[in-house]
Amino acid sequence: MMNTSTTRRGAHAALLAFFGAVAIGAPAMAQQARDPGAEAFVQAKAQRVISVLANKGMSEAQKKQIFHQAVDELADVPRITNFVLGKYARTITPDQRARFAPAFRTYAENVYQDRIDDYKGEVLKVTGSVVRKPGDVIVNTTISGGQISQPLPVAWRVLGGGQTWKVVDVQFKGVWLAITQQQDFVSTIDNAGGNIDVLINQLQKGQAAKGR
Amino acid sequence: MSDQDQSARRKAAGRRFFAAGLAAASGLLAFAPIAHAEEKVAGSVEANDPLEGFNRGAFKLGMGLDKVLLAPIAHGYMAVTPKPVRERVSSAVYNLGEPNTVINMVLQGKPKRAMRSTTRFIVNSTVGVLGLFDVASKMNLPRRDSDFGQTFGYYGAGPGAYIYVPLMGPLNVRDGVGRALDIATDPVGAVAGGVSTDFGKARLGVTILDVRASADPAFHALKDSSDPYVTVRSAYGQYREAFIRQATGEAEDLPDFDAPPPDASAPAATPNP
Repeated sequence: MMNTSTTRRGAHAALLAFFGAVAIGAPAMAQQARDPGAEAFVQAKAQRVISVLANKGMSEAQKKQIFHQAVDELADVPRITNFVLGKYARTITPDQRARFAPAFRTYAENVYQDRIDDYKGEVLKVTGSVVRKPGDVIVNTTISGGQISQPLPVAWRVLGGGQTWKVVDVQFKGVWLAITQQQDFVSTIDNAGGNIDVLINQLQKGQAAKGR
Repeated sequence: MSDQDQSARRKAAGRRFFAAGLAAASGLLAFAPIAHAEEKVAGSVEANDPLEGFNRGAFKLGMGLDKVLLAPIAHGYMAVTPKPVRERVSSAVYNLGEPNTVINMVLQGKPKRAMRSTTRFIVNSTVGVLGLFDVASKMNLPRRDSDFGQTFGYYGAGPGAYIYVPLMGPLNVRDGVGRALDIATDPVGAVAGGVSTDFGKARLGVTILDVRASADPAFHALKDSSDPYVTVRSAYGQYREAFIRQATGEAEDLPDFDAPPPDASAPAATPNP
């Protein structure tokens, strides 16, 4: 750590001299705390979801049912449902919320089962974690095996503490799924002049059209 | 705001100063405004998209052209070549980009990484049969990508305005300038021939095919999105910022999960055209 940092600074100095600039610091590479509890949670629960979807001996209907249960163990569905509404989480009516929550759940389960299915990895390995603040941890993992030729890095944002953790977002190739979903939904509602019903109808229609 | 965030910000400021020097050195005066672009990170909700109306048109056109032009070719390619063969092609395309990675690692002041990428290129081009096999990865020299967009970002340049270019896909000002430099300074192009030569044409064709085939799951995923334009913009921005953080080692600035962003008082005030 010390050595690389010194080398980097030396190289910076050389580069700076070349361009005639003045001062620059080494990038922040601070050692951050890990959270073993959060890591253990992701290792167990995320591995379970991946194992279910990679299981070749199970029918699609069985997989869907077990995936549905596994999502409850792994993810904080109410919190995510609230997050993806962005600023509209403040203005949504109780009636709209009652319709949005199941529509979003069905949509998200279908979509993410498809996404995980696209990659067909088998083994999840925790490679580390970063405590953003107590109770808000990023757990870094790689998924490999199955049809994956190079280990695929996937990060999980988990909230909680002690023995109780829940995933609220998943990062894949640098892209956070819940954050992207939020921007997608908020833009859809914005473009409908702030009418949340338009999004709810779109989600319901989209999944009905898929016939699942 | 934590101490760590503060210190990252200060360092970013230092690098931004340097980015101005780098930009001036490259004779890219037009690039200068980017250095002052807003410091929004991928996790934040606001997008820098002043040309949204125009971009949405370009996106629609791009997706239409993809449907009739690139998608059929890519799907044909995927139908006739098994996945292991396509992976060999991807490796070869990636290998030809390795010298450009070396240049950028040198520019970022990372001699060790530059040496590793150089070794990767030599090993994979020879033992790996023109890059078809990534032998170096098995020798504990994993892939480490880099480009000029990353180098600009490393020295503190913000992404600038978002641009969608039909058939090329999402870009921003920083990475668009970076992409142009990647092409202009590409050592492989200089040695083996640019796009005017047979080699250059073949390379471009295979690269487009490989990129489109690799992106096919993403195109597939877009069908589930309620506003595909925004999904692409958001995913691209996050992807590039994460790529730059690989170089800076900075921690990601994520939004608070439980506090919805403000400004809900007038949510419908500015519906997009």
